[in-house]
Amino acid sequence: MTASVGLQPRRMPERPPTAPLVEVTKLTKTFPGVLAVDQVDLTIAPGEIVALLGPNGAGKSTLIQILSGVHPAGSWTGEIRMNGQIFRPTSVADAERGGVAFLAQEVGVAPGLTVAENMTLNNEPSRWGFIDRPRQLAETRAALSAFDLDIDPTLEMGRLDLATQQLVLIVRALSKNAQLLILDEPTAALTEREAERLFNRMRALKALGVAIIFVSHRLAEVFAISDRIVVMRDGRIGGVFTTSETSRDAVVAEMVGSRLSRTTPEERANAGKVALATRDFNVFAVEGGRPLAVNIDLDLHQGEILGLFGLLGSGALEIAMALFGAWPGKTSGEIRLNGARFSPTDPSRAVAAGIGLIAQDRRDGLSSEHSIYDNTILAHLGALSNRFGFIDAMAARRLVQDLFDRLHIKAQSLDTIVGTLSGGNQQKVQVARWLAAGVKVLLLVDPTRGVDVGARAEIHRIWRELALSGSAILLVSSDAEELVDACDRVAVVRSGRIADTVGRADISEERLLRVAAGI
Amino acid sequence: MSEIHTIDASIAQAPSLLQIILNNRSLRDSTLLIVLAAIWIFFYFATGGTFLTQRNLVLLALQTAIVALAAISAVMLIITRNFDLSIGSAVALVGVVVAVLTVKFGMEPWLAAGLAIATGLLMGAWQGWWVTKMGVSSFIVTLSGMLYFRGISMIITNGATVAPLPAQLKSIATGFLPPAPSIALIAASFLLFLFVRARELRRGVALGVVRQFNAELVRAAAPAAAASMAAIWIASWQGVPYLIALVAVCAVAADTLMRRTSYGAQLYAIGGNPVAARLSGIKVERSIFINFLIAGLAYGITGVALTARVSGAIAGSAGLFLELDAIAAAIIGGTALNGGRGRIFGALVGALLMGSLNNGMSLMNVPTFYQDTARGAVLLLAVAIDQLSRRRGVRAQS
Repeated sequence: MTASVGLQPRRMPERPPTAPLVEVTKLTKTFPGVLAVDQVDLTIAPGEIVALLGPNGAGKSTLIQILSGVHPAGSWTGEIRMNGQIFRPTSVADAERGGVAFLAQEVGVAPGLTVAENMTLNNEPSRWGFIDRPRQLAETRAALSAFDLDIDPTLEMGRLDLATQQLVLIVRALSKNAQLLILDEPTAALTEREAERLFNRMRALKALGVAIIFVSHRLAEVFAISDRIVVMRDGRIGGVFTTSETSRDAVVAEMVGSRLSRTTPEERANAGKVALATRDFNVFAVEGGRPLAVNIDLDLHQGEILGLFGLLGSGALEIAMALFGAWPGKTSGEIRLNGARFSPTDPSRAVAAGIGLIAQDRRDGLSSEHSIYDNTILAHLGALSNRFGFIDAMAARRLVQDLFDRLHIKAQSLDTIVGTLSGGNQQKVQVARWLAAGVKVLLLVDPTRGVDVGARAEIHRIWRELALSGSAILLVSSDAEELVDACDRVAVVRSGRIADTVGRADISEERLLRVAAGI
Repeated sequence: MSEIHTIDASIAQAPSLLQIILNNRSLRDSTLLIVLAAIWIFFYFATGGTFLTQRNLVLLALQTAIVALAAISAVMLIITRNFDLSIGSAVALVGVVVAVLTVKFGMEPWLAAGLAIATGLLMGAWQGWWVTKMGVSSFIVTLSGMLYFRGISMIITNGATVAPLPAQLKSIATGFLPPAPSIALIAASFLLFLFVRARELRRGVALGVVRQFNAELVRAAAPAAAASMAAIWIASWQGVPYLIALVAVCAVAADTLMRRTSYGAQLYAIGGNPVAARLSGIKVERSIFINFLIAGLAYGITGVALTARVSGAIAGSAGLFLELDAIAAAIIGGTALNGGRGRIFGALVGALLMGSLNNGMSLMNVPTFYQDTARGAVLLLAVAIDQLSRRRGVRAQS
């Protein structure tokens, strides 16, 4: 038989070529008080790429977690067959032995270990019981180059940016000889170019007979890569579409249901006075002091949603962090807040001055073991307490309850632990925090990463409401689609400089990508 | 593999008693009290009733007091992911200060106690400075403190015991508030608590965030009433020892600070996620510095109390292993080692649980070596049960 090197799949058992690889029947999983997956039937053929879509809390994550052994057999009911055999994974490792590789949504790496150590984690090549370092490096290098990735395997993982870490993890998942590859939002942190590289690799795997299930919220890529689209709602499969025979509108309609339509005509307020302005603003790297953003002149008006579009490493993220006083490196130039000089040396000063920030990584914004209530009042503690520092708990609960209702946060109560919420609802808690604090300037960094289309539209609507009521919003994103949907103007950052500012009439994904790429 | 599946299935179908207990939230919150009650009932029978006499319970409370004071400070620091290994030595140094000032220099006792507490604050500030300004981990800063605070105590006293303390100071550790005023004080405290809570709930009703006023009030009042009743019964023997009143005041103050003030909310937030806390505008360093200042206050109060209790400063052995007992009490009481979660009253129960084991086994004439072994086993078991219940309690949903 062929030696199984690198990324080739396991040899298929002797079965007719049309036989399904995965057959799921009546799969049901409940959490205390929640029916997460409800009588799901699903069949996947070898070499098929299935996109799994649906709003937050629809059961997508639970479904793929069952297939990948995160929820062990016994904690759910129903039947799964792989190649006709009953498949009951008791753990992720067990599922991997059964040919199912899983890549979780949040990047889970050991930042202190090298790329090679991360790649071979729990599967280290060994000689006489000791780790075979040369082989470890060689295997890693081979796997990375098979993926066209130019990464030094001896680098510490923590020194790579989020996207590169994610790519390494994908390569690792692929190198385990999987028959079924499950990716939970694999492109959420990737740039267009990196995503394209991932898609090429997915197509190559498909040709080898590997089936792929992936969760995504980006419709463009779903249509670019998938064979079939499965839409889940409320734990059930709402619709199954053959990609080549359906349209975006049909899929969105199924996903959103009757909740809201994506293309609601929006009123836009006339931009008011300049809320936040920068002149000759520069941001420098923490190590070495290399300039990351140069001569940035921005005018963020009241009532406006200004986009800052930049691919990873463009400097857009760093500008936002620096405006909030959260950038650890040096900055220079001038910032004016409502006309007055402002130098944010620490986030506490920015918050006190009425600026809020929603960070790129939700784990940086929320205390996941604390309740919605605890997380919401954090930025507003001062105003909620009397001069002796005692919190007016009842007034605070009233405030949080109002925001909870207004933002339609889906949870049992204010005391629900934030870590148990879906991504979209976690994001709403962060929005609630800044609404509670009554900030007039909001800086958002990739704010709907990992949030589904329905919740995203809802969150965009909230921002629009905020802008209409006079807030100024700076939306930093590497997702052109989101900026087109949400912004009044978009400044495009390329290599640390503002390449162009695109007005409302001219905003399109194509235009933004062209400017960003320097075409 | 198939055996494993069948075992899994049987568990899923017939939840064990343990699972029922672990899955029930109100039961889970009081796991610790149930364990404590079980231990007390065991000792009640094993000692022929001696354990649960008023006299022994007062003794137990006095034996637990010093660890309880130290545990209050430990909880507050662990909540922000900081450790204090120095409190045992710091307490010894404070004791040396108060003893030297009164015994050698004949200083007015209350002035000496005040200066000793100021010394404790200074030590807290010193350690806080290293942690927040120099960025040295609190583990290392307080490990060093553990060594040099003890060392300085020995240098000052040359290893000799400084005793006896003036009677005024001794009285805070040995004196009793007579029964009648004690009972009145307990009853008044209970009524005050009830009044404050009822007022808050009424405000909640007015604001529409509290639906069942009566149920909520009863839920707050019932445990407080039970505790007050037990306290009144014990106090009816000889009254309340001043030392216990001190512990109660410190505990209520610390609990109020942690759960009712914005500073407390900041500490929980920092422990839950320091990055999120910073991005919410919380001055993390400043909060942690104050955290260490409060620890310094605890050094002062605990040091004076301990010295008064043993009526002298013994630099070599005063407060030895106190830091470990304090951390153990905090952890048994449900404080999370990785921060963000913990209750002052939980730590008091934790301290009481450890103290009960000591006291009960001593009554049963169990040799000391066995006592240590048993306490170690209980610590491990208590934390394991807590972990198990939490893992079942919080399950991420899709």
